[in-house]
Amino acid sequence: MAEPSRLLIVDDNEDILSTFYEFFNSMGYEVKTAIDGFAALKLLRDKSNFFDCLITDLVMPNISGVGLISIVKKEYSHLKIIAMTGYGDQPGALASEAKADVVLFKPIDLFKIESTVSELINQENNEQEK
Amino acid sequence: MSTPLIGVSKSILKIKELINHVANTCLNVLITGETGVGKEVVAQSLYCESARSSKNFVKINCAALPETLLESELYGYEKGAFTGAHKRRPGKFQTADKGVLFLDEIGDMPMALQSKMLHVLQSGEFSPLGSDQDFKTDVWVIAATNHNLEESIYQKTFREDLFYRLNIIKIDIPPLRERKEDIPSLIEYYFRLYKSEYPENKGTKPESDTLAKLCNYPWPGNVRQLQNCIKKQMVLNSWEKIFEELPKEHHEISPLSRADNNTLEQPIDYHEFSGNRTSIISEFVDLSTSSDKLFEDISLKKIKKLASDKVEKEVIAFVLEKVGWNRSRAAKILKISYKTLLYKMNEFKVHPPVK
Repeated sequence: MAEPSRLLIVDDNEDILSTFYEFFNSMGYEVKTAIDGFAALKLLRDKSNFFDCLITDLVMPNISGVGLISIVKKEYSHLKIIAMTGYGDQPGALASEAKADVVLFKPIDLFKIESTVSELINQENNEQEK
Repeated sequence: MSTPLIGVSKSILKIKELINHVANTCLNVLITGETGVGKEVVAQSLYCESARSSKNFVKINCAALPETLLESELYGYEKGAFTGAHKRRPGKFQTADKGVLFLDEIGDMPMALQSKMLHVLQSGEFSPLGSDQDFKTDVWVIAATNHNLEESIYQKTFREDLFYRLNIIKIDIPPLRERKEDIPSLIEYYFRLYKSEYPENKGTKPESDTLAKLCNYPWPGNVRQLQNCIKKQMVLNSWEKIFEELPKEHHEISPLSRADNNTLEQPIDYHEFSGNRTSIISEFVDLSTSSDKLFEDISLKKIKKLASDKVEKEVIAFVLEKVGWNRSRAAKILKISYKTLLYKMNEFKVHPPVK
C-alpha cells in the first residue's frame, strides 16, 4: 500500500470513538475523529480532499449523521460513506435516503467495518484506474 | 426587520457558527429550548443567511389552531372542500414555496396531522383539502418546540419517524439563566430598540448593582421576560418597581422549614414545590453543560440515589424533630430498624440541635 487511506470517524460516544481510532490506526489507516456532525463538517471544510472514507454514527447533537451525509454527498461527492446506527430502523432508512454507501446496524464487528472500508476504497481506486 | 441573535456566551456563539454552516443546506432543522429563549430568532437567522432570504418566511403555530383549521392553513383548500369554502385558498406550504416554513410548537401538532406532515416531508408533495391533485413543494422546513420530543415519543404523543426526519440539524438554545453573560448585551439591545421607537421615554439604563441583580435573576420566561421588563422600565422608570413585580423564584427559606430550620443543613429549596421540571432536574444534574456532555452525565440510577437521599434526609430530620429526637420512636414511625436509622442519620449528617 503506497499511502495509508484516510478515515474520518464520527460518533458522539467517546468510548466508541477511541476504540475505532485505536483499531483503524493499528490496521494502518490514518484516522481523524469528530464528536458530532458539526465538528466533522468543520474538519471536512478545512481539508476537503484529505479523506477517503467517512464512518459516521447517525443520532448526534447539532448536525446529525443524516445531515452530515446529505451535506457530504452534495459537497464532497468523492467521499465514501459508511453509516452506523443503533437506534432502530428510522435513522438507518434516512441514511440510505441520503445516499450513504453502506448502512450498518450496531453492534458492529470492527473487522467487518474494516473490510467494508477497504472494499469501498478499492472500488473507488479501480474506478479511477479505468 | 427581524431580531438578530444576540449574545456573547459560548452557546450562542456556537449556535451562530452552526447557523452559518447549515444555512445553505436546506436540511430540516429542529430548534429546541424553553419558552422565550428565542427559537424564532434562530429560525429567522437561518432564513436570513440562506439563499432563500429573498423568498417568504412563513410561520405557523401548531399549538394555536384546532386540528382541522391547522390542516387547512397548512395545505390550503379548494372551493367547496367544506361548508364555507367559497373560494380556493392557498395553504402555508404554497405561500412558503422556495422559502422557509417555520413550524412553531411542532410538539403540539395533533397525531393525525403529524402523519400527513411526515408524508409531505417524505414525498415533497401535498394536496390541498378537497383537491385530487398533488402539488410539488420546495420549502425549507424549520420546526421548533419547547417539548422534549424524545419524551413525547415515549408517551406516544409524537411520531418517532417524524422526529428523526425533522431532527437532521438540531439547535438547542439553553435558557437565559445558563448564559447570564448574555444579559448585559440583551439589555443594551432592547434599550436602544425601545429608545429609538419611543424617543420621548425617560427610562434609565440599570446601574451596576441593578445590572448585577438582573443578571442573577433566574428569568423563568427567558429573553422574552427580560425584554418585557425593559419595555416596562421605559414606561415606569423604576427598577425597584420592576423587581417587585418579578415573580419570586427563589425563596431563601421556605415556609415549611422556617419554623425549625436549625437542624437542616440547607433550607428547603422552593423549587421542590414549584413543579418546574428543569429546576428539579438541575438539583441533581448540571444542566448548564452542552447537551452531548449532559446526556453522558445523566444516569437514572445515579439520580435516583441522589434524589431519594435528599428526600430521605428531610423526612428523617422532620420525624426526629416531631418526636423530640427520640430515635427509637422515630425508627418505628419511619418503619425502619433502629440500626438503619442511626446509619442513615450518620450518612446524611442529621444531628440533634446543639443546645
